[in-house]
Amino acid sequence: MSPDIRDEAVEMWFGPQHVSAHGWAAKLTVVGDFIVECDPHAGYFHRSAEKVLEFRTFKQGPLVLERMCMLEAFLAEYPYISAVEQIAGVEVPERAKVLRTIMMEASRIHSLQFWWGQFSAELGLFAMTLWPWVDREFFLDTFEELTGSRHAVSFSTPGGVRYDFNEKVLKKLDRALQRLEQHLPKFKDMLLRSPTFRMRTKGIALFSYEDALRWGLSGPNIKACGVPMDLRKDWPDLNLAYDLVDWEVPVVDNPDHPGQSDAYDRMVQRFLEVETSINIIRQLLPQIPEGPIVDPKARAKTNRLPAGEAYGRVEGTRGVTTVWLKTTEKAQTPYRAKIRGPCFASYYSLKHLVPGSTFADFIVVFGSLDPYPGWWDR
Amino acid sequence: MGMIRVLGDIFRVLKHIVRQTFSRPFTYFYPFEDREYPERTRGRHIHIRENCTACGQCVRACPVVAIRIDKSDRKYEKDAALYFDYTRCIFCGLCVEACRFNALFHTPVVDLSEPSREALHYDPERIETLEREPLEWRGRRFR
Amino acid sequence: MNALLLQLFDNIDIIGWLRGIPDWIHGIIVWVYTLAVGVFNWAWGVFVWAWNLALDNWLLLFKAIVFPGLVFVLMLIIFDVWFTRKVWGRVQARRGPFHIGKYGGLQIFADAIKLISKEIIIPRGAKRWMYRLLPSFLLLVVLTPFAFVPWTSEWVITDLSVSLVLVFAFLTAVPVISLLTGWISGSKYTLVGGFRAASNQFAAEIPLIVSSVGPALLAGSLSVLQISQAQTHLWYVVLLPVCFVTFLVSAVISIGLVPFDAPVADSEVIFGWRTELSGVYFTLTYFAEFAKQVLYSALIVALFFGGEYGVPGFPPFLNFFLKFLVVLFGMIIVTSSFYRIRQDQIVKYSWRYLLPLSMLNIIVALLVLAYVPGLAGILAGGG
Repeated sequence: MSPDIRDEAVEMWFGPQHVSAHGWAAKLTVVGDFIVECDPHAGYFHRSAEKVLEFRTFKQGPLVLERMCMLEAFLAEYPYISAVEQIAGVEVPERAKVLRTIMMEASRIHSLQFWWGQFSAELGLFAMTLWPWVDREFFLDTFEELTGSRHAVSFSTPGGVRYDFNEKVLKKLDRALQRLEQHLPKFKDMLLRSPTFRMRTKGIALFSYEDALRWGLSGPNIKACGVPMDLRKDWPDLNLAYDLVDWEVPVVDNPDHPGQSDAYDRMVQRFLEVETSINIIRQLLPQIPEGPIVDPKARAKTNRLPAGEAYGRVEGTRGVTTVWLKTTEKAQTPYRAKIRGPCFASYYSLKHLVPGSTFADFIVVFGSLDPYPGWWDR
Repeated sequence: MGMIRVLGDIFRVLKHIVRQTFSRPFTYFYPFEDREYPERTRGRHIHIRENCTACGQCVRACPVVAIRIDKSDRKYEKDAALYFDYTRCIFCGLCVEACRFNALFHTPVVDLSEPSREALHYDPERIETLEREPLEWRGRRFR
Repeated sequence: MNALLLQLFDNIDIIGWLRGIPDWIHGIIVWVYTLAVGVFNWAWGVFVWAWNLALDNWLLLFKAIVFPGLVFVLMLIIFDVWFTRKVWGRVQARRGPFHIGKYGGLQIFADAIKLISKEIIIPRGAKRWMYRLLPSFLLLVVLTPFAFVPWTSEWVITDLSVSLVLVFAFLTAVPVISLLTGWISGSKYTLVGGFRAASNQFAAEIPLIVSSVGPALLAGSLSVLQISQAQTHLWYVVLLPVCFVTFLVSAVISIGLVPFDAPVADSEVIFGWRTELSGVYFTLTYFAEFAKQVLYSALIVALFFGGEYGVPGFPPFLNFFLKFLVVLFGMIIVTSSFYRIRQDQIVKYSWRYLLPLSMLNIIVALLVLAYVPGLAGILAGGG
C-alpha cells in the first residue's frame, strides 16, 4: 500500500455491534468503495474452554466440546471422545460405531442447512433463509427424539453412545431425509441457478489450493479447489463406520479456474457434501447391527486414564477439528487439552482474501468460508 | 441465448416463491398450541424420594455444580433432600444417568421461565412435585 | 458660560414639555391599538376568505383531506405495511403478525406506538436541526404526489397538464434527503448508505422516466389523469409490456426494496442512511418507504393497466383498487425472491438493460401503430 493511498483511507469497524457480526469484529481500511486492509479480531466470544476442560472428568469433557459449536454438536464432541478412547485403548461396540457415524452425518447436514440460510440472509434473501431452516427442524426433532435435547445433544460418550435408536427415531430421521431430498432441487434452483446469486458470488474470494494449504484451510473450503482432502478417507477411524459405506469424497472441479475456488464453488461443494452425507446415512441405515450400545467395561476404564497423550480428530462440517489431550497417571481430568477449531484459519485468511474487494462483498467473502465464532475463540 | 436462460431461471425462482406463498405456513401459534415433547426430553428434573439412597452420585456427576444435597433432611428411611439451581443446570442428563436407584428423572417440562433469578432455585418441595398452575391469558387457557 | 446655559433653559419650555407627555403616550397607545386592530381585521378577513373559499370548494377540501387524500392514503399505507408483512411471512413459510387485532391488523399501531414512545438519541456528531427536520420533509415529499393519482376520473384531488413530470420531480428529492440524512448523522455507515441511495436514484431515474414516456406518447398527454382516461379500449400494457417491466424494476430500484436495497442493506451497511435515526424519525422514514411503494403501484395501474377501466359494471374505484392490489402483490413477490445485488451492478445493469429495453419497446410500439391499420383508432388519445 503506497503512502498516498493511506491518506485517503478511512478505518471502519465491521463489528462487534454490526448486525451481521455476531461475536467478531474486523477493522477494515477502506479507500472509496474498496477495502485495502482487513484486520480480523478474535476474542469477542472467548469462553476459556481449554482451561475449563482441565477441571472436567472425561465423561463431562464432551459437554464442553459440544458447546464449542452447537450447530455440529455430534461432530464437535467426537474428537475429545476419540482422544480419550485412544489413551484408554478401548474399542466401542459395532452398533455404537454405526450410530455415531449416522448421527455425525445428520449433524453435518443440519449444520450445512443452517449455513445455506445464514449465507442467504447475508445476501439479503430471507425466504431462502427460512426454507432450509424449516427442513432443519426435522433433523432437530430427530435429535430431540434420540437424545432429549435439540442442540446440546451429548450423544457420544467414551466407550459407546448414551442413547439407542428406536422405531420413532428411525421414522423421524427417514422423514427428515425424505423431505430434504424432495426439496434439494428447489434449493438448487433458488441458490445455484438464481441469477442474482451468481452475480454476487462468481469470482468472489478466489484462491488456489496452494494458498488454502498455506493458510491452513480445510474441509469444504479446500475441497472446492478440486482436491479430495477429507479426514474420513485419509485417516480411517477405528471407532467410526465409514468403511462399511461405498462413497467418494465430493470435489468441485470448475473448468473456468481449475485448482481454484470462488464463493460460488464453495456453495456447490456444500451441496455435494449434503448429497454425500445423505448417501452415507442411506447406506448405513439398513446395516445397523444388533448389540449393546455401550461397553460398560470400556466406559469404566475411562474413569481414570493412564498417562499418555492422544490426538483425536474428525472431519467437521467446516474442516478438520482436533483435540490434543495429555493425561497423567490415574488422572480423573486431563492435564492439558488443546482444541484446534477449523474456523480460526478461515477467519484469519480474510486478511489475504478481503483486500481488493468492495465493501459490499466483504460479508460475502466472510460468509462463503462458513466461519463460526465459537471455533476461533476457545 | 444466455439472456433467455437467465429469464428462465428468474421465472423458476418466481414459481417457487409463489408456490410457497399459497401453501401452508410451517409455524404454529406457540402460546396457544404446543408441540409434543418426546419421552426422552431433558427438561426439569423430578426427584422421587422413596427410591433415593442419599448416595450423592448425581452431585458428583454434575459438571456445573447445579445440585446440592442435604443428607440431614430425611423424610423416609435413608433419603436426602436435593436442591436444584436451574440458573446453572445445562440439562446434560449425567445426573439421571448416574442414579442407579431410579430416584431422579428428567420430565418433558421445558418452559422454566420465572420472574426472578431466585425463583429458579428449586427447593426439595418443588423438585419432588410436577404441579404447575395452568396459565391463562385473555380468557384463553393454554397447556 | 453661565449666561449661555440660562439662555438655553429660557428657550426650552420644560413645564410645557412635561404637560405634553400624556398626549404623547396616548398617541402611542392609539397607534398600537390601530395597528393591532388592523392586523386583527386583516387576519379575520383572511379567515373569512379562507372559510368562504373552503365552503365554495368543499369538495376539493374533502378530497384533499379525507377520501383520496391524506386520511385515505395513510390508511392505505397502514394496509400496505400489514399486507407486505403478511406476504413476506407467507413467502418465508411463516404466518406474519397475528396476535393484535384480527389477523394481526392492529400490529402496525402497536409498532408505531412503540417506535414513537422510544427515546430519541441524536448522535454527538449529528446536526441536530437537520436530523429533526429531514425525516418529516421526506414524508412530505413522498405524500405530495398522491394528489395526482387518479383513483377514478372524479376522485382525483387535482390534475395538471404536466402532473406526470411533477410526480417524478417530487420523487427526485427523496435521494437528496437520504444523502443529507446520511451526511448529517455523523456516522460512516450512514454516509455510505446515503451515497448508495443517491447512486440508486441515478441508476433508476432515467429508465423510470423513459418507460413512462411510452404511455405519455400513446395518450398524447403528460397528465396522469388523461393517460389513464385514454385507455378505454386498450390497456397500454398490451402495447408496452417491456416498458411495464422496466418501470416496475426501476420503481423497485428507486424505492430501494430487496434486490436493490443496497442503501439499507442490513448485512453490509447496518441500516444504511437510516442507521442513526431513532424513535419517531425512524418511523417517518419507514412510512415513507411504504408510501413510495403504494405510490408506484398506483402509478403503474394508472399508466399501464387502464386506470379505472376494467370489468364493465364494476364501480370504477373498485376496478382501480383491485388492479392496484394485484400490482402491489406482484411487487412484494418480486422484492422477496432475489438476492441483493451490489451497488455497481445495479447501476451497470439498469443502464445497460433497462434503458435500451424501454426505448426499444417504445420504438417498436410506434412502428406497430404506424403499420397496423385500425390500431390507432382504438387508442382514444390518438397516438
